[in-house]
Amino acid sequence: MERGNQENGIREEVKTDEPSSLKCTDQTVSKELTRTISSENHINSEDDDALVDENGMKASQERPLEPQTKDSTADNHLETEAPSDGRKEEETVDLPALSSVDSAGAHSLSISEDTTDSIHDDSGEFVVTMLARAKLEEQGMGVKGTSSPLLETGTAVGNPAHQDEDVTTERWRQHRKHVFVLSEAGKPIYSRYGSEEALSSTMGVMMALVSFVQSGDNIIRSVYSDEHTVVFMQRGPLVLVSVSSSRQSEQQLRTELLYVYNQIVSMLTQASIARIFEHKKNYDLRRLLAGSEKILDGLLNLVDSDPSFLLSAVHCLPLASSLRDSLSQILQKAITPNLVFSILIAKNQLLTIVQEKMVIDDARLDPSDLHLLLNLIGASSAFQAGEIWTPICLPNFNPDCYFYAYISYLDPPECTVCLLLLSTDKEAFYAVAECKRKIEEAMQSQNSLTAIAKAQSYSVSQVGVSDLRHFMYKPFDVPDNYRQLTQFTSPEMEAPYCSEEEKMRLLDLYRDMHSRIHSSSRPLKLIYHVAERETLLAWVTSKFELYTCFSPLVTKASAINAITKLLRWIKKEEDRLFIRYPPKYSTTPNPSKSSRGGKGGADHTDSTDNGVLPLL
Amino acid sequence: MIIKYSVVVSPSLKANQRQVTTTMPESTKMKKPDVKIVILGDMNVGKTSLLHRYTERKFKDTISTVGGAFFLKQWGPYNISIWDTAGREQFHGLGSMYCRGAAAVILTYDVTNWQSLAELEDRFLSLTDTASTDCIFAIVGNKADLTDPHAQAATSGGGQADAELGGVQTQPLPACPTPPASPLLNKQVSKEDAMALYGRVLRYKGLEEKTSPPAEKMCFETSAKTGYNVDMLFETLFDMVLPSILKKRREGENSTVDLEESRGSKRTKAGCCA
Ligand SMILES: Nc1nc2c(ncn2[C@@H]2O[C@H](COP(=O)(O)OP(=O)(O)O)[C@@H](O)[C@H]2O)c(=O)[nH]1
Ligand SMILES: [Mg+2]
Repeated sequence: MERGNQENGIREEVKTDEPSSLKCTDQTVSKELTRTISSENHINSEDDDALVDENGMKASQERPLEPQTKDSTADNHLETEAPSDGRKEEETVDLPALSSVDSAGAHSLSISEDTTDSIHDDSGEFVVTMLARAKLEEQGMGVKGTSSPLLETGTAVGNPAHQDEDVTTERWRQHRKHVFVLSEAGKPIYSRYGSEEALSSTMGVMMALVSFVQSGDNIIRSVYSDEHTVVFMQRGPLVLVSVSSSRQSEQQLRTELLYVYNQIVSMLTQASIARIFEHKKNYDLRRLLAGSEKILDGLLNLVDSDPSFLLSAVHCLPLASSLRDSLSQILQKAITPNLVFSILIAKNQLLTIVQEKMVIDDARLDPSDLHLLLNLIGASSAFQAGEIWTPICLPNFNPDCYFYAYISYLDPPECTVCLLLLSTDKEAFYAVAECKRKIEEAMQSQNSLTAIAKAQSYSVSQVGVSDLRHFMYKPFDVPDNYRQLTQFTSPEMEAPYCSEEEKMRLLDLYRDMHSRIHSSSRPLKLIYHVAERETLLAWVTSKFELYTCFSPLVTKASAINAITKLLRWIKKEEDRLFIRYPPKYSTTPNPSKSSRGGKGGADHTDSTDNGVLPLL
Repeated sequence: MIIKYSVVVSPSLKANQRQVTTTMPESTKMKKPDVKIVILGDMNVGKTSLLHRYTERKFKDTISTVGGAFFLKQWGPYNISIWDTAGREQFHGLGSMYCRGAAAVILTYDVTNWQSLAELEDRFLSLTDTASTDCIFAIVGNKADLTDPHAQAATSGGGQADAELGGVQTQPLPACPTPPASPLLNKQVSKEDAMALYGRVLRYKGLEEKTSPPAEKMCFETSAKTGYNVDMLFETLFDMVLPSILKKRREGENSTVDLEESRGSKRTKAGCCA
């Protein structure tokens, strides 16, 4: 909810601030951009050195990216929020005695709540103690667990490498981003690094923290220390925690945790997770997720390395529109009752997607659901000769019901072109497999695989702007393609962003720009960031969101000029870069049966009922 | 249970279906599998590894199975379909679909894990209710390499020289000429336990012990890691389902009756939450 508000805020600002002249016609762009940059300086000049001073800052001075919170100094900082009150009113309770530079003991608390009850001042002190303990735990996660974890990790047979990782080591602590999932009862469910057993005491402390704050009718949201941001998120009976030194914003970390939660839901459905814990509060959910850790591991790696997650948009493979159309037509012709989505993927990027008419009217496929599907495909690709038939829930579509996904590669043994067919009928495997046979045949006769093999991401040099090194462009919904899948386009990362470290560094810069653009306290429309090794320009309008990376020598004027050219180029290439008009077919004559939840209530989720009880 | 998802077929849906069926050109029909084999068992017992060892002659760290994976194996002139499952079947209720019409079911456990054998009876046996009435059952204790020295050398399944293991062993380690075989783990399930389970499976299915294949023949201890007994397992089963293949071919000569074709096509399941 909070997020929605934020976004409205941003869009509103865009609307009021920007005259309708902001159509991407060439002349207006540069004027508009110049004007926005200068007005931006004016609007946000109060205390934002990150924005204004950077413009004039010496290029040699690389500023460390700082979290947007004002007090990102040595102080630890705890924010809580009253659950019933959607609006966030921040009230900062400073504890002067503690706010010295001594980082171990220094905390400041900001609690937002609807009542200014003085009880919470007392609890505040207690939370500080808890927090200090949490911090201790965090530093010495091993200290507390030393006795058992070593033994326990030793006995875990056949676990993949990082699950075996010794949680007492410095190396374990140094991971950039830890993610933990636990149940309300404090039972470990998932840990990105190290085995859950070895971390059970740590998770216990996290849970104690969560439930303590809860008992005061607040929800713990985040803890800041000088090096780490700890973000808590509770969804139903699950608590998710991110411990990050990546300097990402709380909102970004929260979005990532939501991906993790949704991936779990995609395997179990929200309704059955709720039901399981209703029956047995301390159920060990790992019994159901065993074997799925790799899917979550894979997701978190993707989240770190693939900007699709940051932008909540889908990256599609550039393709001549005639070829994309012909692929769509092939999919459109290979249908069977209850088929709702046909998706073709190459090199982990979307080639085309065809949706059932009724479904598309009812709801579009959310990009993040597609990301979860793509991650699942990636995780199951080890054994590529087979055809997979699996129940899968699309949490943003309906968190309580399953679709049945058919997954098969069309080009063994290379296995780069993947077909994904989603049906609402769990018995439809053979019928859906038959659709694949048809698709395969049609693609063969049109030689589509050869054409697809030639398709590849593009080089930024094709844009023909000398100082431009990389960009990400995400158009927003426009009225005539309202149900369109949110997409973005971006060239390959090329020199100097070739090594994994450099790629990550550029992504981190983008993430920082993104968090400042979307800051809840002070959303920005435009950031011109001069750093030592590159200059970045991020710009959000009512039509698009754009992140660009230039060589450090670029001048503001030439950057503006470059963006004008870039937008012109994208406009010219848009048929190739995006799926313009997502095609449809009709297979379900009775749409109300296949559509979103909420309508039918609990009895609609019974497909998960089989066997839940025997498991408990 | 099933009733809950069944929906009265509306006339328009029937029309739709008919149309789809009639426009489907015969030439695009897939090679119909002659027979179906399903591998069941708890997660991590090594189902995927067994199948992988058999079909790809390799042991590698497989990635977790999602749902069920369908494979077609050419066995002489026959097409044998094999379903590898994830081990969560009774949770989402797809188990009966994977098992429908199966001619053989491989119930897999991990010899180092007693619970994995118990789960077969508790959670997986009931999924086989939809299997063919003359279905053959095999009980397979995998990871025998962890408990039995003789299973550490391959007897089948692509020979001893599996790439990964071989690589590890030929790594130059001057100080330590031959890496000692990994210490044996406690074997939690004996072959007798498995054979006793086999007897209970027959009773559950209402099959005669006398007319069914004997327990000694149908209980296997395997290692997907070394290949021990893996080929034996699959090939014994393939041989044993031959009669069903022939029977099915005879029956299916001209009729369209197909065990694989789900009964669901008559009673359409509409919608994931309907
Ligand atoms: N030592 C040993 N490990 C095995 C064997 N078979 C499988 N594994 C390991 O057990 C784990 C689970 O295997 P997998 O095939 O994914 O199990 P599934 O969930 O039943 O499909 C993996 O880490 C495998 O490497 C075996 O025969 N011996
Ligand atoms: Mg498996």
